[in-house]
Amino acid sequence: MGTDSKAVRTPASASRVGPAMGQFLGTLRETSIGLVVPGLFILVWWIAVAAGVFPEAVLPSPLAVGRALVEWAFGARDAGPYSGTLIDGIAASGQRVLVGYSIASILGVLIGVPTGFFPLVGKLLDPLIHLLRPIPVTAWVPLSLIFFGFGFKGAVFLVAFGSFFPIVVNTIEGVRGANRMLVKVGGMLGASKFELLRSFILPASLPAIFVGLRLGIGLAWVLVIVAELMSVKAGIGYTLLDAYSFNRYDVVIAAMIMLGLMGFFSDRIIVGIQRVLLRWHQEVSIHAE
Amino acid sequence: MQNNVIVSCEHLMRSFTSKDMGINHVLREINLQLNQGDFVVLIGPSGCGKSTLLNIIAGFDKPTGGTVMVRGAPVRGPGPDKAMVFQDYALLPWLNARENVEIGLRLQGVGTRERRCIADEFLRLVGLGHAAERPVYKLSGGMQQRVSIARALALKPTVLLMDEPFGALDAFQRAIMHKELVQIWKTTNASIIFVTHSLEEALFLGNRVVAMTPGAVGLTGEISIDLPRPRDPMSLEFTALKRKLFDMITAHIPDRTETFVE
Repeated sequence: MGTDSKAVRTPASASRVGPAMGQFLGTLRETSIGLVVPGLFILVWWIAVAAGVFPEAVLPSPLAVGRALVEWAFGARDAGPYSGTLIDGIAASGQRVLVGYSIASILGVLIGVPTGFFPLVGKLLDPLIHLLRPIPVTAWVPLSLIFFGFGFKGAVFLVAFGSFFPIVVNTIEGVRGANRMLVKVGGMLGASKFELLRSFILPASLPAIFVGLRLGIGLAWVLVIVAELMSVKAGIGYTLLDAYSFNRYDVVIAAMIMLGLMGFFSDRIIVGIQRVLLRWHQEVSIHAE
Repeated sequence: MQNNVIVSCEHLMRSFTSKDMGINHVLREINLQLNQGDFVVLIGPSGCGKSTLLNIIAGFDKPTGGTVMVRGAPVRGPGPDKAMVFQDYALLPWLNARENVEIGLRLQGVGTRERRCIADEFLRLVGLGHAAERPVYKLSGGMQQRVSIARALALKPTVLLMDEPFGALDAFQRAIMHKELVQIWKTTNASIIFVTHSLEEALFLGNRVVAMTPGAVGLTGEISIDLPRPRDPMSLEFTALKRKLFDMITAHIPDRTETFVE
């Protein structure tokens, strides 16, 4: 009897914190664990600079980079050349990524779906896609300069062209895989070709399409920087190159951090859309584990 | 008499040609007739062609010789008259249970209200009346297979084809599903062809058990089961039939089988 009442009391006292609070603390703990290694990295960097392993002129301290970042973003009293230009840089690079990546996504899905679904279209387009794909997109820079010039259009072309391939290839594979799985069910349920595509194959291939979209956005950021390093005279990539040629390594590192953040957040946006559209897929993959 | 015949296969042949293995005759001279209300179980070891035969009847595959007729008309392709219950359920995970049952009806042009009614009726029949709104990915394997059975039955098919539907379930769930399937068969008067490699499953379910063996010409044999239902797999009569069926199949398996699984 005595043990019974004890057994009841124990969980009650353990959950004194309350479930919502407990969950919050759990999330906080996990987040702080995630920050340990990056924190150590910055600490080692700081110590290395303070101890003079690298001269300040070559590797600025984290503090100097932070200051450069703030100045770049908000301007400063002793206004340098980069002061307050961050937002313009983000706008310039972001616009190129947005336009180029949108073109790549639309074309990738529009071309990928019929290529994966109709055997004849697949036979016609597969060879071209697989011949063009191994050419590094950077090798297209000279042609892009000739055709689209040194400005917005050239950068958009590179971004669109480069991020098109992972999107189209994953769409094709996704549609083919879904077709293999669902063609029997669709046939048995009496679906026409169009219905098979619309109600069975397209929803089933969305997870693969999103893999392509995520690979594509990563490449889009790589390529906008390539374009800005090589030709275009604006944007975060351009600031990076410019700061390098004026030995402003604090700005160089600040630009690298910004690029990392922009890439990270654009990926999060796509993952967010995916979460909403593909609830079933996350649950299914969790189920399978 | 003729009206009673649901499926008839005559002199059915199916061979696969591959570069390194030559010609593999999976089905040779298969003659099979399914009558209204029959529960036929096809049984045999891997590679005997039982799934190939089922796929041909379903219209997913074409024979290299002979004819398949469903209700007197040659099979030209898959369709809702030949509903299949797949081993891996093949449900659409982005839909809930009711929508999975409804989708076939929608494709037949059944109106919104009517198909909802029919879907709920068949979900109740398989014991899922309470789970109509649940997303199928949240259902257990047994429940998913019930949805799949409801989806097939809602099509009011001429023949219900079942391809090792309970293979992925544990023994206890399988036993429950067996009892329920027999019940469903009785209440709907469905004509069923069921593929399995389990002797017990075959003898528990079928009123006719048809044995196949790899590389054989024709079917290996057939047993009619008159045991009263529900059958008791532990009973002497059941065990005796199991022995008989096992011997019938193993006697025909060559020592060195050169055939390979499809």
